Amino acid sequence: MTIHATECLLRMHDQHHELEDYQSGVPRWCTGCGDNAILAAVQRLCRDEDLRPEKTMFVSGIGCSSRFPHYMKTYGFHGIHGRALPVAEGIKMARPDLNVFVNTGDGDCCSIGAAHWIHAIRYNMNMTVMLHDNQIYGLTKKQASPTSPRGTKSNTTPGGSYLEAMQPLTVTLGVQNVSFVAQAVDWIPEVLYDIISKAFKHKGFSFVRIIQRCPEWLPNTFEPWMQDPLRTLLLTHENGLTLSPNLSKVYKTQERHDPMNINRAREIASLQDPIPVGILYNNPNVPCYEDIHNIGQQRSTRYIKAGLEAEFDKFTIWPQAADGKIQPGA
Amino acid sequence: MQAELQAHIAFHLTGRMPQGEFAALTSSDLQPAIFAGYRDLTSLRYDFPLILARGGGQPVQSLSGLIDGALKDIAAGDEADRLRKHALRIERELRRLVAEGATGSLSKLWDLGVTRVGPKDDKLLQDSLRRLRAALKIDGEVVDCDKTLPFRLFQHLWQAGQDRKAQNFRADVNRLIMKLSDILSAEFVRSKEGLSAERLRASVGAAHQSDFDFDAMSRLLTESSVNVPMPESRRRRVRGLLSTLRAQRFYAAASDGDKGIDVGEPYSFVFEKCSDAVAAYRERLPRMVELAKAIAIARLELESKYSEAHHDAFFAEFGDNGLDPEDLALFPDYLICLGAADLAASESDLILQALAAGMPAKIVVQTDDLLEQSPLGSDYMISGLRSKQLASTAIGLGACYVLQSSGSNLFRLREQILRGIAYSGPALFSVFSGASGTGVPPYLTAAAAAESRAFPAFTYDPSAGPDWASRFSLAGNSQIDLDWPQQRLEYEDAEQQLVSETVAFTLVDFAACDPRCAKHFAKVPRTKWTADLVPASEFLDREPIDLVEKVPSLLMVDGDNRLQKVVVNDRLVREAHRCAEAWRSLQELGGVHNSHAAILLERERKVWAEQAKPAAEAKPAVAETTPAAVAPAAATAAPAIAEAAPERSPDEAYIETPRCTTCNECTTINDKMFGYDANKQASIINPDAGTYRQLVEAAESCQVSIIHPGKPRNPAEPGLDELIKRAESFM
Repeated sequence: MTIHATECLLRMHDQHHELEDYQSGVPRWCTGCGDNAILAAVQRLCRDEDLRPEKTMFVSGIGCSSRFPHYMKTYGFHGIHGRALPVAEGIKMARPDLNVFVNTGDGDCCSIGAAHWIHAIRYNMNMTVMLHDNQIYGLTKKQASPTSPRGTKSNTTPGGSYLEAMQPLTVTLGVQNVSFVAQAVDWIPEVLYDIISKAFKHKGFSFVRIIQRCPEWLPNTFEPWMQDPLRTLLLTHENGLTLSPNLSKVYKTQERHDPMNINRAREIASLQDPIPVGILYNNPNVPCYEDIHNIGQQRSTRYIKAGLEAEFDKFTIWPQAADGKIQPGA
Repeated sequence: MQAELQAHIAFHLTGRMPQGEFAALTSSDLQPAIFAGYRDLTSLRYDFPLILARGGGQPVQSLSGLIDGALKDIAAGDEADRLRKHALRIERELRRLVAEGATGSLSKLWDLGVTRVGPKDDKLLQDSLRRLRAALKIDGEVVDCDKTLPFRLFQHLWQAGQDRKAQNFRADVNRLIMKLSDILSAEFVRSKEGLSAERLRASVGAAHQSDFDFDAMSRLLTESSVNVPMPESRRRRVRGLLSTLRAQRFYAAASDGDKGIDVGEPYSFVFEKCSDAVAAYRERLPRMVELAKAIAIARLELESKYSEAHHDAFFAEFGDNGLDPEDLALFPDYLICLGAADLAASESDLILQALAAGMPAKIVVQTDDLLEQSPLGSDYMISGLRSKQLASTAIGLGACYVLQSSGSNLFRLREQILRGIAYSGPALFSVFSGASGTGVPPYLTAAAAAESRAFPAFTYDPSAGPDWASRFSLAGNSQIDLDWPQQRLEYEDAEQQLVSETVAFTLVDFAACDPRCAKHFAKVPRTKWTADLVPASEFLDREPIDLVEKVPSLLMVDGDNRLQKVVVNDRLVREAHRCAEAWRSLQELGGVHNSHAAILLERERKVWAEQAKPAAEAKPAVAETTPAAVAPAAATAAPAIAEAAPERSPDEAYIETPRCTTCNECTTINDKMFGYDANKQASIINPDAGTYRQLVEAAESCQVSIIHPGKPRNPAEPGLDELIKRAESFM
């Protein structure tokens, strides 16, 4: 139900925000870090969509990426390791009116938080999830993460990592109820912004893996892709990304990919070289958990109290009076 | 032969019926030939009866559709044939029951039908019926196509819409009430009274009361509180909002609402007179404004956005000019059911005024009889003038949803009806029930009226788009591109040979169904079926010059299913011409044989032919193409024009700003020389604010290599040779 007058009045006296209005403090990320590009793109989105700071929430776990909420002048929740998604789901359940964003890293999401990740996809709650994937644990100074390529030398794998890297896109696309999967790279800011913007506008669990450079611990990992634009496969479609002519001139390896085609999306997700960039899957028809679960009951104080009392009563031992009768509430 | 022709013409023009030549059309079972197969409706499978389903899902379903759906679910394997056979038997039985006048819910009629359809000890039959019943997922009132159908159907669909509206409204208002109450209770908890020793004691509970000094706790909490009390004006406002929201009578209060306040019965929104509905609307308007205002203010309060300086003045005048459609959409619509026969001129006038003013009304005008007495004489004319006039005037209002249909078509047009009911503005539904009281089943009369264009179906939906093409639709009529719909008629002739011919169904056929029009027809004995008798539809199509010595006739069947021919009076033919004229204007509105389009097309064809001429002369072998085929090719999009890169001197330092990843490398080197734009992407803001060395270092450290240092601006800078060399790879 829309109230014409209120909406109109809210807009009339609402302040327009500039990009700086969303900036809080000076980022402590290393100079050259790809996280800065993600921060700039997200702040741009907030400004362009005119998101009200008091209605916007950034949730994170632990890691370099998870310092993100500190740098946004909105509400934020710097949570515990691997648990950004359950916290975000709780927030969305209690306050569906908030714009919820999640910033998580490859260690936070794909290692300790992997179980939550899988189920969050299945729940398909309306939030935008950015996986800052730099393929290394950076905050703790270089240990191999699940997405480190095989052979990565790190403090925990001095002889090079043994296992093939996990591919977050194929995992996400394999879970029931998946509704939005995209991949971006931090070094093409225009596309990064477009993808985050599309993810935000999608109603459901929008999962964006952002391949992000770590200039400190893995300075050369993505150098070959940055030097050769032909090794980036841009996915275009009228329901996905449309590229500017200038970008099209530089990134000539392109594929027209319908984001509703999940089978092709899974094939594209497995590509390692060229790196696919764009919207792999977007299905607006998957129901959101908060909508299915809506029982149509006002969560009034009376209702919550009655529920709590009923739960407590299951464990209450009623004191018995002298006449042997039970006295509830005594 | 000449004498017969003369007799035919004499009757056609004057209605004179010489003895022996003709027989008057008295027998009511003489029907248009095309009706021969429809004498017994109970043995036919068609849309009726309908089930007005309770609960969710499709609110109206046809019996046949339901049975088909059930069979789809259960009829499989060896038993499929048996189930299907039994399903059709019970369906026919139910149809028979309804035709005999039985009423009630589907489950009631089903039970009754089961007792009549076959013996109880027929185990297979009983098994089929039990399984079919279990597969019918819905229940609801069963209605046939009769006089009560339009009002019952519309009321049912309207009610389903209102229930949904009420549910949304209650959820919304209950939420507002709860949140507003929270504002007051939060304020109380932080107040001196809320922090009193008694309150604190009560909140801890009995078990640990002795562990605390509540007086000290109260003192501490009260003294340390930095609480700024809520302004009195806001408290008053919130209380006022709460009482307005709780006292509303537009919807029944929710079951978990406050039971302490008696606000009276909820308002009724169903009316049988437009004047009553308008009076009720006028009386309730101040309360509507008050409630809409309360909801708007409450939303602002909940966002903590209500500013007295800004909003007091606005809300003081809120609703002075009536309510916006968005506000009106909150409230129930007024359902007004009227009979066209009782429609006085003043009432018609009021309807149009209410519709024009955007009153949230859904008006159903039901016509039972299309034959009206002419004010100029005692003769009857076929028109249904009042309702048709109302519908066409309502279309002229522009913002009113209009639907006209005969009762037989209502099920087919159910989606359009639902759209009209959900439409945010006023809607007018004009329905011909077919219950003229002539003995012909109302379904047949209604279907004949639709088929003969006497009461054509159309919808005008202002929400569908900005133009007539998207708003106006003739869906629901058969063969809309023809003047009169045509059917195949097959019969055996005297030699028992199969004869098949195409027969059109015209207004004359519709009139032939009505005994009151009998005097316009005269039965011609078979021996006098001469060549001058031409089918009425042909007669209506031809130019007057071709009609010399021709008389219009109609094929009819009698009670024994024998073909008869009747001659038609000229009066009726003139009426049919008028009807065809009206249909053709509807066709034009609906984009069929549109005269403007035809003129335009003709002109374009000529232009194209002239343009094609020189080309054809030059290249005589070129295949002919139509202008329509040329148009799409011309309409292809112009190629995208690439953004031109700005012209730059190779000596000038610059950054490819759109590619900047905001990594802070350059700004860390010199934040006077490099700066961010509104999108937080870097550019050179002052090339003189630093050295060429800094420019080159920034280019080297840029992660995405988008800094181009150009040539040094200060020739005196030390170490330039080496720097220029380093800068070469970034040129």
